Amino acid sequence: MSLESKIPAGPLEQKWQKHKDNLKPVSPANKRKFKILIVGTGLAGGSAAATLGELGFDVEVFTYHDSARRAHSVAAQGGINAAKNYQNDGDSVWRLFIDTIKGGDYRSREANTYRLAELSSNIIDQATAQGVPFAREYGGYLDNRSFGGALVSRTFYARGQTGQQLLLGVYSALSRQVGAGSVKIHTHKDMLDLVVIDGTARGIVVRDLVNGKIETFIGDAVILATGGYANVFFLSTNALHSNATAIWRAHKKGAYFANPCFTQIHPTCIPASGDHQSKLTLMSESLRNDGRMWVPKNPDEKRPPEQIPNEDRDYFLERMYPSYGNLSPRDIASRAVKRMCDEGKGVGKSRQAVYLDFTDALGRLGKTVIADRYGNLFDMYDRIVDENPYNGPMMIYPAPHYTMGGLWVDYNLMSNIPGLFVLGEANFSDHGANRLGASALMQGLADGYFVIPYTINSYLVKGKPAAIPLDHPEIKKAENDVQNRINKLLSINGNETPTGLHRKLGKIMWDNVGMGRNEQGLKNAINQIQAIRDEFWHNLKVVGNDSYMNPVIEKALRVADFMELGELIARDALERDESCGAHFREEHQTPEGEALRDDEHFAHVAAWEYNQDKEPIRHKEELNFEFVEFATRSYK
Amino acid sequence: MKVKLHVWRQKDKSTPGHLVDYDVDGIEPDMSFLEMLDILNESLILKGEDPVAFEYDCREGICGCCSLTVNGIPHGHQKGTTICQLFMRKFSDGEDITIEPFRAKSFPVIRDLIVDRSAFDRIIQAGGFITVGTGMAQDANSILIPKKIADLAMDAAQCIGCGACVAACPNSSAMLFLSAKSSQLNLLPQGKPEKLKRARAMIAQMEKEGFGSCSNHYECEAVCPKEISVQFIAKFNRDYLAASIKEGA
Amino acid sequence: MFKYLNHLVISKFVMAFSGAYLLLFITGHLIGNLQLFMGREPFNAYANFLQSIGEVLWAERIVLIIAAILHIITSIYLKLHNYKLRGEKYAVRKYVKAGLNSRTMIWTGLMILAFVIFHLLHFTFGVIDSKNYNYQELYTKNAYAISFAGDIEQANQQSMSMEALNPEPIVYERHDVYKMVIMDFRNPWVSLFYMIAVALLGVHISHSLQSAFQTLGISGPRFTRFIRPASIVYGFFIGGGFLIIPLSVLLGLIGGNI
Repeated sequence: MSLESKIPAGPLEQKWQKHKDNLKPVSPANKRKFKILIVGTGLAGGSAAATLGELGFDVEVFTYHDSARRAHSVAAQGGINAAKNYQNDGDSVWRLFIDTIKGGDYRSREANTYRLAELSSNIIDQATAQGVPFAREYGGYLDNRSFGGALVSRTFYARGQTGQQLLLGVYSALSRQVGAGSVKIHTHKDMLDLVVIDGTARGIVVRDLVNGKIETFIGDAVILATGGYANVFFLSTNALHSNATAIWRAHKKGAYFANPCFTQIHPTCIPASGDHQSKLTLMSESLRNDGRMWVPKNPDEKRPPEQIPNEDRDYFLERMYPSYGNLSPRDIASRAVKRMCDEGKGVGKSRQAVYLDFTDALGRLGKTVIADRYGNLFDMYDRIVDENPYNGPMMIYPAPHYTMGGLWVDYNLMSNIPGLFVLGEANFSDHGANRLGASALMQGLADGYFVIPYTINSYLVKGKPAAIPLDHPEIKKAENDVQNRINKLLSINGNETPTGLHRKLGKIMWDNVGMGRNEQGLKNAINQIQAIRDEFWHNLKVVGNDSYMNPVIEKALRVADFMELGELIARDALERDESCGAHFREEHQTPEGEALRDDEHFAHVAAWEYNQDKEPIRHKEELNFEFVEFATRSYK
Repeated sequence: MKVKLHVWRQKDKSTPGHLVDYDVDGIEPDMSFLEMLDILNESLILKGEDPVAFEYDCREGICGCCSLTVNGIPHGHQKGTTICQLFMRKFSDGEDITIEPFRAKSFPVIRDLIVDRSAFDRIIQAGGFITVGTGMAQDANSILIPKKIADLAMDAAQCIGCGACVAACPNSSAMLFLSAKSSQLNLLPQGKPEKLKRARAMIAQMEKEGFGSCSNHYECEAVCPKEISVQFIAKFNRDYLAASIKEGA
Repeated sequence: MFKYLNHLVISKFVMAFSGAYLLLFITGHLIGNLQLFMGREPFNAYANFLQSIGEVLWAERIVLIIAAILHIITSIYLKLHNYKLRGEKYAVRKYVKAGLNSRTMIWTGLMILAFVIFHLLHFTFGVIDSKNYNYQELYTKNAYAISFAGDIEQANQQSMSMEALNPEPIVYERHDVYKMVIMDFRNPWVSLFYMIAVALLGVHISHSLQSAFQTLGISGPRFTRFIRPASIVYGFFIGGGFLIIPLSVLLGLIGGNI
């Protein structure tokens, strides 16, 4: 199978428009005849379902939650980027594009990234029209804040709950279609397999989480918008149910998995407080607008932070990256934090934390302004850590947050399996090796509102696929596979819970495939993951049966897939023998400790093909940079 | 720390439930309430028993999944906090803690502490939106919204749809939920054209779903993890009154 | 007529409007009653004045009766309806903000209803304790007549003879409401019953005033801060205002001349 990106020819600025013009829409009379199955109701899935339903397609959408409004997009805090240039500070589509390409360390497709920047403005307009209450200035105009990796102020926000507000906008649009009968929503349905017939995606196998029933839904196209896989690290900022099962099952049915090792570690999270920790909580990047990160210069510092005078503090981001300072991109900031802690300057009980200090901003702007900007984040910190950030600095440490990798898709967002589309964080397309802050919301919504409604026509225009009976052998096989997998899990009856094993996997991943990676560590990780996977299938304990709501089965199925995906991540990290963006191979760094790319050998997308019990096959999609030139990323 | 739990266990919708006692030991004050339940569940699984089913996801107070009534108060006793953000340091060693689901006729129990809150979705589907198609929108700055109005709309928009308001209400009323969503939209110029229609549609669905009427106890406001004000209920009443006068009940 | 009961929020408006009317009436009633402290003459004059405006009084009474019926029927209906919609009872239940006053509205309301029935039979229709009810008093509108020292025959004859000057009788007989109240309240059981009832009325009102505003959508950050405490103060005012009447009679502070 070849990896054809289907990027239209022509000047960068005109590619998307030309492509849209060339796509023949399905006639209004025929749209109703096409059934589209969408998995996931976050920003990408929800917006796609609402828009496609509105256009007249027969849409069915699936979520494992009890409601579409709970998708993890809800947790995004800081904001969403758009090249509106409302601030008159020199922003433009081109600048957003360049920032994103550069932020991604030249490992994303130019055309996709440009399209994203181009659509960014429409998203703000659309969300505003839906009633998303973005922050406003006194004059009634939209307010902006700054985010990492950019020198302009282009981030729109709704307090510290931008993701929630955008998701509720999507949810209301989706609800309108459900109410109108053009979209059918299935809640509490967990996708456990993809049905591929004659090489095309034709349906999904889902398990009802309430009664355990396994069912198949057939459609003419399948859209996966199931988010990222950062929970492979066990402790991450993702919601606890976020998982990779949908994309991993699609991968096992033939979809290529691209750049799995591009996993982002977010610099500002609340550090773990002990072994009982179930997840990590993000403190928005927007805090770095006004917060300054520092550590004591003296590793043996004993004084409480408030008593350490300025001359004894090392504002390390400002020192190392004078022009971007505290607003350096996430991968850069995370590694700087790690370096400080490795040098023994970390603070707190575990010494695995640095300070994020608002004293200056509080003095300059006053408590009211700070509370208005970050009040809910400060409160959250206070509740979790039991320390009031208005009185002293926060302590923060990096944590897995986002995954740039995902299923491989072409310019139409279709995977290499015809009829299978992948949107949002679940695909690999726009962020390269590192995502800039406030760009995930942008991508999810661009994909769902403005890309897929056009590009799905590229597939549907070929006509309606043949009808398929529910007892088709492929469907029976897929259903049986799922049932057998569950039966197997139930039959092991060992001594470890799914969560316990997940925690062990996470530790292997974090220690070896986290912020700093090296050949030996990655090789060890692969061996250890294989061992833990073996333990999983021999020593797992699952209780009860599958005829009622059984959260243990749910969890075990997801961990089983993480056990396989973890190995692929490590393998991809091992094969990508360079450092780029969030992928930092210790063997490849500049004397100052910055990532050292190898454009000659690795300016490509690594797309992995599942190969049954043998080692997966690595395919390459070369990245051609026609419009920008490779440059060493510098935030100095 | 150590606590004595009394947890509501119920197999499914149709089987009656009851409280079961559990002792949980080895709790750190820095654990969240749900992490304490995780410990209980891990130990139950290892003993071969079904763990306590409860809902959670983001564990940072925004998804609205978690829905426990702890010692008689939905989301527990800390003001403006979801139960996932309540930490064990707020309890005393050896404390007796009763955990029940959110109770209301329109929130039937699915299992143990998990209830079905799909009625909320149907209320939104009935009218909790602005009718705007993708691609119709004009430039966002062409709609001027005074900061005060935008902030007020945001106060209402914070609702996480958890249902604590219903669980706390002696009448099982959903008025705080309805009023938060509709006020957000009714306050903004974009939402004004459908203001009356929206109020009527949402109320009609609410009545159909079997939520009670509001008696202004303000218990909803007291337990709301986002501290949404009952003033939005007053505003919603006003909108609905206007709709009824103009268009009849 | 009661189709509105199918609409929960409309029912609430009915509660608020009818309650607001009842509250207005009660306030007027209290102000009238407090005239008891001004003495027998002004109080009986007030009572007589009310009797004299027959049509207006009846119009007011009809509205009052309708408001009361709507208020009672709606509240009972809503209570039963809401009760059905509660899920299983909580094993442990703690209220954070809902006060005893708001949670007992139906009970205070029903007790007030029982009291009102008694009160009407007692003071309005005189069915209960009719001995006290039938007191009559002579009075005059004319200072000149006072010199006849209560001799009704003589005064009126004199008045007739001066017909050209004053064509109407100058001394009348009227219902001695003052005496009736004093005599009745000297019975400690009656007084106690009244005092309990009006205290419950005060509790009921302490929730209802602000509740009516809230239901009718009259609200705002500043107004709310004012109206909630004001509602409690008002409840105290109404309850206390009514309560001091029997209390004062019992303590002999008023009515000593009877």
